[in-house]
Amino acid sequence: MIKPLRKRHLQIWTAWAVLIPIGIISAILVRPELPQDKLLQPAATVALPIILKSLNKESYTINIRSNSDTSQLQLEWINKKTLTYPTATIYQNTANTNNIADAVLIGRIEARGTYHFELKKNSDNNYHFILYDFIHQKTIDSITF
Amino acid sequence: MGASYLAVGWNRQKKIYDWLMFAFCVSYLAAFIVLTAIFNPEYTFETTLIRSTSTLALILLHVILSIGPLTRINNKFLPLLYNRRHIGVTMFCIVLVHGVFSILQFHSLGNVNPFVSLFTSNTHYDSLADFPFQSLGFFALIIFFLMAITSHDFWLHNLSPKVWKTLHMFVYLAYFLVVMHVMLGVIQYETNPVFIIIIAVGATTLITLHLIAGAREVRKDNIEYKLKQNGYVRVCDVNNILEDRAKMFCIENERIAVFKTAGKLFAISNVCKHQNGPLGEGRVLDGCITCPWHGYQYLPHNGQSPPPFKEKVATYDVKLVDNDVWVNPLPYPEGTERPGAVINIQNRKLETESVKGEERAS
Repeated sequence: MIKPLRKRHLQIWTAWAVLIPIGIISAILVRPELPQDKLLQPAATVALPIILKSLNKESYTINIRSNSDTSQLQLEWINKKTLTYPTATIYQNTANTNNIADAVLIGRIEARGTYHFELKKNSDNNYHFILYDFIHQKTIDSITF
Repeated sequence: MGASYLAVGWNRQKKIYDWLMFAFCVSYLAAFIVLTAIFNPEYTFETTLIRSTSTLALILLHVILSIGPLTRINNKFLPLLYNRRHIGVTMFCIVLVHGVFSILQFHSLGNVNPFVSLFTSNTHYDSLADFPFQSLGFFALIIFFLMAITSHDFWLHNLSPKVWKTLHMFVYLAYFLVVMHVMLGVIQYETNPVFIIIIAVGATTLITLHLIAGAREVRKDNIEYKLKQNGYVRVCDVNNILEDRAKMFCIENERIAVFKTAGKLFAISNVCKHQNGPLGEGRVLDGCITCPWHGYQYLPHNGQSPPPFKEKVATYDVKLVDNDVWVNPLPYPEGTERPGAVINIQNRKLETESVKGEERAS
């Protein structure tokens, strides 16, 4: 390697020694708050036995399930057709709007499959979900029970 | 070294190198796909392919970027340098699969051209949390593509070494883009900390290696040679140079390699014409100074490659006064014949004793 190239290498890596840690730490600091559970529930998660509410759409079916004493609730998402959005997130908004800034992230789904997510009980028994494409940053659909 | 351009100048060492690399890549992808099927069966095959190729490419990129400084720190890593470009091209192929499937998965199912969608679906360039990370990966892919298609020596000669090297230095920018592509992309939604750990450990290792290697080279370059006389600089004792080997000295602008061979001392430029390898770290084989990186050769007395090859390096005047080696740092035009300095019998006797002493010590 010639001397100017040696100098250039050292300059670049000295700069990266500062910029890369800044980039990594900044990216970690701006991570959205994620639920403790894995976003993608394993398919082996058992569906709770009772369907409290159900909604059928052309591409998917959404059920709210519970156990026998309704102490536990579960959102069940069944893709009937392959979604045209390969990855999407489900948010729950108690204010019944489509603003995800006020919503709670429930989980992430892919184009195919069945998913189960833990759900917190609402006092008024109304549930409003938003299906959001986080790659294209737009709301795909909203579901209200 | 080849008199004409071949796609790949295969030899046994290259074949072993490439087979090992191929085996590693195939094993890694297979293991990733199998483990994903077991532990994350809800992932589609497309997602698994995107993730497996991305992680494999990231590992290969870290290996590629660590080879340079490792060879500076320890010569034992030199065999990894010989065919580093093969790893580079392989990495690009894997990254291409990742890129193509990502664009298909995320941007081709709508009614907008996928490449237009890539840049227009998310325009939050002013937000770190929502930054369009995919465009970072796209630009890194472009850099890797340009490097892969110009990786052959044909381009090194036709683009000129300066342009070629400048282009290939963009790998460092590509590395930064890849790190941020991962950190602003999958890390934002992945709860498993292993991804952050891989990136952090990888970056820390690379930065440390490069800074250590760089600091060592700067120290070598900054050694001062204070004894000067009539344009010559005293560089070392003749007994410090082993037979058919060299010592390197940075005098004024660039390093000079002083070789001891066939009872004489010769001084040539330390910089190989091929890819600026350190000739002084090579040895004399069959009467030719041989570059340790890719085997390019030069005759010691005139700095010319043996026919039919045409490479030439600059030569310098060297003289021996008692046991002191003096070099004139003013270079002659490349390929100029110089007589070298004869090592007389007294110096040789002293050299023999010195070499024996070194052998006993080692």
